[in-house]
Amino acid sequence: MNFFRRQLPLLITFVTGVLFALQYYVPHPASEAMLTSVTKWLQIIGGFALVLGVTSLFHLHAVKIRRKEPGWGYSFVLYAGIIGTIVVGLWHNGKETVDNVTTSFGWIYNFMMVPLQGTMFAILAFFIASAAYRSFRARSPEAAVLLIAAIIVMMGRVPLGEYLIPLSGDVTQWILNVLNASVRRAILIGISLGAIALSLKIIFGVERAYLGGGKE
Amino acid sequence: MSFELILGAWVAAGLTLFILTFLYQDNPLFKLAEHLYVGVSVGYAIVKTYDTVLVRLIYEPMLKPGFTQGEWAKGDWSLLIPLTIGALMLARYAPKTAWMSRIAFAFVVGVGSGLAIPRVVSSYILKQIEDTVRPLLMLGADGGVSFTASLANPASNLNSIVLLVGVVSVLFYFFFSVEHTGPGRVVARTGIVFLMISFGAAFGYTVMARMSLLIGRLTDLIEFAQPKYGGATWWLLALTIVTLIVFHLRRGRTEPRQ
Amino acid sequence: MTFAERMLRIDRRIIFLIIGVCTLVPLLFPMGLAIKTSPEVTSVYDYIEHMPEGSVFLLSLDFDPASKPELYPQAVALLHHAFNRNLRVIGMTLWLPGTGMANEVITHVAQERGKVNGKDYVFLGWSPGGGSVIINMGQSIGTAFPTDYYNQPTASLPVLAGIQSLRDVQYVVSLAAGTTGIETWYVFGKDKYKFELGGGCTGVIAPGLYPLLRSGQINGLIGGLRGAAEYEVLLGRKGRAVAGMDAQSVTHLVIIVLVILCNVFYFMLRRSRQGGGQALPSGS
Repeated sequence: MNFFRRQLPLLITFVTGVLFALQYYVPHPASEAMLTSVTKWLQIIGGFALVLGVTSLFHLHAVKIRRKEPGWGYSFVLYAGIIGTIVVGLWHNGKETVDNVTTSFGWIYNFMMVPLQGTMFAILAFFIASAAYRSFRARSPEAAVLLIAAIIVMMGRVPLGEYLIPLSGDVTQWILNVLNASVRRAILIGISLGAIALSLKIIFGVERAYLGGGKE
Repeated sequence: MSFELILGAWVAAGLTLFILTFLYQDNPLFKLAEHLYVGVSVGYAIVKTYDTVLVRLIYEPMLKPGFTQGEWAKGDWSLLIPLTIGALMLARYAPKTAWMSRIAFAFVVGVGSGLAIPRVVSSYILKQIEDTVRPLLMLGADGGVSFTASLANPASNLNSIVLLVGVVSVLFYFFFSVEHTGPGRVVARTGIVFLMISFGAAFGYTVMARMSLLIGRLTDLIEFAQPKYGGATWWLLALTIVTLIVFHLRRGRTEPRQ
Repeated sequence: MTFAERMLRIDRRIIFLIIGVCTLVPLLFPMGLAIKTSPEVTSVYDYIEHMPEGSVFLLSLDFDPASKPELYPQAVALLHHAFNRNLRVIGMTLWLPGTGMANEVITHVAQERGKVNGKDYVFLGWSPGGGSVIINMGQSIGTAFPTDYYNQPTASLPVLAGIQSLRDVQYVVSLAAGTTGIETWYVFGKDKYKFELGGGCTGVIAPGLYPLLRSGQINGLIGGLRGAAEYEVLLGRKGRAVAGMDAQSVTHLVIIVLVILCNVFYFMLRRSRQGGGQALPSGS
């Protein structure tokens, strides 16, 4: 039984990892057919993975209601939102429009989900301004460099800035295309090397945190 | 204008204003909108997953009568394999069967890692290094060499040198296994200067992004303030302000005097 | 408390009010300043402009409602351009929350242009999996999407006639708000299947995509609302993006003024504290 709990998952990771790493270099039709099938399977399995996130949210708010924790009434609002959207959505087979006519599901999406999500992120504009005023200080030469670069880019990316200081647009382009590109490239190379190292550790069973659930 | 559209405008304007009340202080209107947001988003995700995965990717290819498309003829029973693996993933909820979910995760993570390695090496490492180590001089058709020093042209030789210096110095800065002393300190300091410029550019762009989001929402609120929507924004703004005043007064009465 | 200290400790709601007013006023009273176009946006425009009629253009709308103000105008402009050029348009999304918006923008623009679903364009919808979807499409589009968003078998659609996989697509543009976006399309798509790739993105991730732009891995980049405005100018079709640029200008200038003021007050405070022999409190 220990084999199924401990060794089998590690063996599956190793075999699939090596197989699909080598598949990239093997253009044989059988190899390509295997790639087509398995990536199709991953699309389906990805859908099941979404269920995991949803159920933990359900559980969190069910506990809140059961224990009558502060703000537990809002959990009812959350459940009402979930159930109402599901009922309406399934009624219209998950379609926001049918023959170019907006369904009730589409109405919920356009007039509830879009404004709610949009505004949640829009209020960040206020916080970034407040944070810039309170914390963006040239405490050191490096901070001063950061400050000056930020001001140049903010000027150069808007028509009014380019109108007031015409050179700001060109300097911004140079900063983005050369200085910024070099830094991002270095960071990209570094992160990629780290990601490859992690993937190799996972394939060879050194890193096992992804397995999670159940006793070993 | 249809009733659904007008009702939608009122609901959208109302929910937008409820979220914006957070800027004044946390309050029940914001909490209501926040929980509704999570609820509707989750409900939407569930419906879409059902339609896309269960219906279009599993049911139709496997069971729908007369359904044919390309090489996937009716009754594609090989889809039972991903269905089984997906079901194994859900086994983690029962403590006795939780170990079975490891098989599913092992498969997904193994395939994902295997697919990623050669593609990441090719795309992010080889291609990026190839573009960094460009020739420092241009070879002309007549066999002569030239050096382009235009800062405005990102592909000029001068900019290629700056790019190379930037990449190497930043990579060196993050190499903490070697002490940054002597010439190494100069290289690391150069890297820091490049990093600060890049972070400044990132901040500038982030400000642009965040302001754009606010512009988008305010544009909608201006639209919904028009008479054809019954002046939704104005009425709901008044209602929101009155509600906030009421909450403020009630909080003042219920909180003990200091 | 000195004046500088008072100004540094000002209630943040006053700053919120300043930002709110400075965003609202230009929207109500636009200035109409000229917008200069950049090479990275022009590259995307030129590529589509030179595509022969009937070529296949795939637009992947990889964003959610949070990024709508920046990326929706880009999508509108690109679709108008593609339909203007009589290209065969394939729409899709890799982001679940964006499915409704993606469907709406394609349907809406197609209707305006008199294009027919299934004949001139198709919306494939969303599929989970990110990179696996792209690889699957690279192997066979019919396998990744057996049906379109409206449950029509993709093999029977005239717009997809002769298109077996991504190798048959001439140009892919991904409008991305984060991971599972442009980089994913390159790593899992263009690297092996060799189609041309362009990108549109939010301002937050734009600086991170310049290495790919410089190396030619993407042929162009439409960055944020400014990028969308530039594309509208190139197309000669001013829309929401151009309308928003005045407000963008004013708010940027306000933030620059706030940052400069913050530093002026900071140095005033530092000088007065050092002059009085006091150490600066941490955090100020």
